[in-house]
Amino acid sequence: MRSILQDLLHVFYPRSYTLANGKQIREKFSPIPYITILLIGLILYCMKIAGVDFGLLLAKGRNFWDMLERMIPPNWKYYDTMKKPMLDTINMSLLGSVFGCAVALPVSFYLSGNFKLNKTYLAAHRVLLSLLRTLPTIVVACYFRMVLGMGALVGTIAISIFSYTICVKMMYEYIETVDMGPYEAMVSTGASRPKCMLRAVWPQVKGYYISTVLYCFESNVKSAAILGYVGAGGIGQIISGRLNLRRYADLGLVLLFMTATIVILEGIARFARRKLVH
Amino acid sequence: MPAESWCIEMEHNEKRSQPGFFRRLLRDWGPLLGISLGTDLDDAVTVEDKYRRYPQPWLRYLLFLLFVLAIVYINHFTVEFTGLTERGWGLVKASLQGLITPSWKVITDSSTTGLAYMLMETFSIGFLGTLFGTVIAIPLAFVCSRNVAPRWVNLIFLVAVTIIRSFPSIMYGIMFVKTVGPGPFAGVLTMTIGSAGMLCKMFVEAIEDIDKGVIEALDASGCSAFEKVRYGIIPQLSSSIISSVLYRLDINIKNASVLGLVGAGGIGAQLIFAIDDRRWSDTGAMLWGLVVLVLVIEYVSTKIRKKLATDIR
Repeated sequence: MRSILQDLLHVFYPRSYTLANGKQIREKFSPIPYITILLIGLILYCMKIAGVDFGLLLAKGRNFWDMLERMIPPNWKYYDTMKKPMLDTINMSLLGSVFGCAVALPVSFYLSGNFKLNKTYLAAHRVLLSLLRTLPTIVVACYFRMVLGMGALVGTIAISIFSYTICVKMMYEYIETVDMGPYEAMVSTGASRPKCMLRAVWPQVKGYYISTVLYCFESNVKSAAILGYVGAGGIGQIISGRLNLRRYADLGLVLLFMTATIVILEGIARFARRKLVH
Repeated sequence: MPAESWCIEMEHNEKRSQPGFFRRLLRDWGPLLGISLGTDLDDAVTVEDKYRRYPQPWLRYLLFLLFVLAIVYINHFTVEFTGLTERGWGLVKASLQGLITPSWKVITDSSTTGLAYMLMETFSIGFLGTLFGTVIAIPLAFVCSRNVAPRWVNLIFLVAVTIIRSFPSIMYGIMFVKTVGPGPFAGVLTMTIGSAGMLCKMFVEAIEDIDKGVIEALDASGCSAFEKVRYGIIPQLSSSIISSVLYRLDINIKNASVLGLVGAGGIGAQLIFAIDDRRWSDTGAMLWGLVVLVLVIEYVSTKIRKKLATDIR
């Protein structure tokens, strides 16, 4: 009994042995048991706060399928009404991604640490960017809605800001890893800095940039659906409206189109990435 | 060397350095169209000459720019600028003031409407969603990867996972709110499904990259199936799985603040109510709290991921 307890104790506390020559040695200390206990504690605490109750899910899980069943078959006549908001959503995310990423490219060159620019400016801009990045798109949209009024412009601005912050971060981290040899060679011939960046660094990051833009576009289309909820244009308004009226057949059509759009976009993005990056 | 022949050579050189009009035109303007005369590159005296005569893909860039501009032009019908709302500038000023002077009442409040509790709820949704998502995604990923299951099984499950992943997450939110009632549990379920789909995609890539040689070697030394998984597969997968899970945790905690909008818990609902009611100092407090939470999680996860990446090497 005592030895089992001791074994248990030694999971947390490394054993020490005395060798024949009188030397004390210890087992290697492993933090894994502590981390496991902390994680389990955290999980239990979070489950309590979030009110996780799988019994409830099992008991009422039927409702989930109920709603899906009422969406089938979709109401095809609704197509004419939902066409414009659907296109608006795609347009918003396309425009936002293109604009945000276009601005992000030169900025990310100037923000990457390997061109030896002003350190203070660099740090300040990076802090500002990470503050912006943590703001959810929906909050930005909500804020601009108050200033600019309802409409797709608000959604576009929110998406641009999001794409800009994501793209700049991914790009400057990547630019810091490029081979600076060609750049230094060009600088030593006396070419101007922007010329050096264009000729020596840009070809190295081109593929990654395009794949970043595609990633932004993809995730923006996915997240743009919610923007309509705060009046930023697009399909979200339709979803919330139909939901309030309990027109599930119409909702089914909207969902069908959204899912199809995202599947197609993902396919295009994957194809383009394979063609461009490799 | 007779003087005459030297003269002839000189003349010849001069001729070569003075090409005809069209050739000069092509040499100077051709690069802009992506055309380059190979011989002229050898002729170039200075580096600058050489640089200028190198084929420059301006035309291609120009066409691409036109393409982008066309997209913008087509789309500008969607986006119309109707000017600021009446009190637009006043709102900007007031909200910035709110950001600078966050409400301490909200920050120090330790009840369920306080900042700390709301942040904890948001964190819980993101954390548990990622955790449950991982639990679902791992077996799914094994079924979806080419080197574990037969191809037709892969395809069936891959199509299912793609459809699940592409379904807008806000709809999951709505449906789960209808199923289990409003509250953070609906948020957890939404996050679970959303992240299971994304994680499955990442895990499949990791599993398909596995080095089969290790498993063969273990097989040859007479290991049991359990030992093969423990010593052959887990060490190869664990670091990439942990790093994608942490990456997902980052995103999920940020997204968890959105779910409040459909009644699925988290800080989002309170935040948007505060913005709508123009309680700017409350908004400021909540935003700062959210910023700190997201930055801390991002910092920790980046640190761990970097450590894992260097451990492999």
